[in-house]
Amino acid sequence: MKKDNLKQFYKEFPSNPEARVKALKSILEKKGLIDQKALDEILDTYQNKVGPLNGAKIVAKAWTNKTFKADLIQNTDKVLKDMDLNGRQGEHVVVVENTEAIHNLIVCTLCSCYPWPLLGLPPSWYKSDAYRSRAVREPRAVLSDFNVDLPMSKRVKVWDSTSEIRYLVLPQQPESSKGLRENELVSWVTRDSMIGTGFPKPPTVE
Amino acid sequence: MSKVHDMGGRFDPKRIDITSSDLKFKADWEKDVFTITLALGFSGLWNLDRSRYARESLQPKDYLQFSYFEKWLAGLINLLGENGIITDERDIGNNAKKSSFRVLEAKNVKKLLLMGGPSKRDSTTEKKFNLGETVSVRTDNSNTRVERGHTRLPNYVKGMTGKVIAYHGSHVLPDANAHFLGESPQALYSVEFKSQELWDKCEHVEDTVIVDLWESYLEKCK
Repeated sequence: MKKDNLKQFYKEFPSNPEARVKALKSILEKKGLIDQKALDEILDTYQNKVGPLNGAKIVAKAWTNKTFKADLIQNTDKVLKDMDLNGRQGEHVVVVENTEAIHNLIVCTLCSCYPWPLLGLPPSWYKSDAYRSRAVREPRAVLSDFNVDLPMSKRVKVWDSTSEIRYLVLPQQPESSKGLRENELVSWVTRDSMIGTGFPKPPTVE
Repeated sequence: MSKVHDMGGRFDPKRIDITSSDLKFKADWEKDVFTITLALGFSGLWNLDRSRYARESLQPKDYLQFSYFEKWLAGLINLLGENGIITDERDIGNNAKKSSFRVLEAKNVKKLLLMGGPSKRDSTTEKKFNLGETVSVRTDNSNTRVERGHTRLPNYVKGMTGKVIAYHGSHVLPDANAHFLGESPQALYSVEFKSQELWDKCEHVEDTVIVDLWESYLEKCK
């Protein structure tokens, strides 16, 4: 059997993470292996451009357009590609629909896989040991940490993102939002409702 | 064989801390770790599976104590180290620069992020399992070719029986790709397990857990 031992080079660097990345960055800069402008562009993308609004727009469209919804569920990757919403960490997406009978919840127990192009970067709790450990074993207890109480009439399906397939929950449209237009519905769709740890809710009025 | 990163089903008494969850980065150094890691991901020297392997191979004590981006940082340093690009903090006398290293330029960022790195490949072989079929997961979830190597077969489903509910085509096999043994694409399935079969105590008899599993992780149900 082959061996593949990665040496622990990080031990040779300062233990304080701030000092550690500073030391690394100066080496990479000296060697010309990073371009600060490219780093700025990456940061701008994930800090300002890509976020849960992308997913919310899709959900609102699915709520108001049956043809789009069917297409989104059947031909997800093509639909997302046509909207420029695929890409890194969203190359292969499956949309799972909540119904009266089923509540879906997404987790990645092995790391923190998450549909970046649709939801942006994952929140801290999604990456926590507690969420990664507990979501598959006791999803209802986890949901109650989010103040979500699920009736026993619904069954829970937990999706563990172990491959490069990324999952997006299509939440149920709240009764009180029926009749609203697509663009009005976008602000009802919370990030957590697309992970399965929350429900859509009326936008808070400032 | 369960490694430290394989957390599914482990007992953890902690409540999920949902406060301050909207902070993308807690400090500026995290931004550097994030952007440098992504940029170097396009260097061509390693792949996504290798970088996951690098993170999960950190000393277990560190894996558990490090924050998310501290894990990324240590993993990245190990990847650069094994490529001879860095040695230590001062990097004395090391002028190694791989000619194959591709430096990410700002003008290519948008295009490359949108392109991503699809793992689906054209199928060359007939798939072994059908939708609706009951399958068993291998009883040993160790990497079959590399000692303590990378795998995406979580400990909590090994030896368990579930139902194939989706077929996703052929995908790059992480167990091989993480160790530069080729992409070895294989049929990828979603397999649904009953919670009551996975856990001693389950919350609801109808609850299920769905895990994406490659063909070689599965066996025909006897």
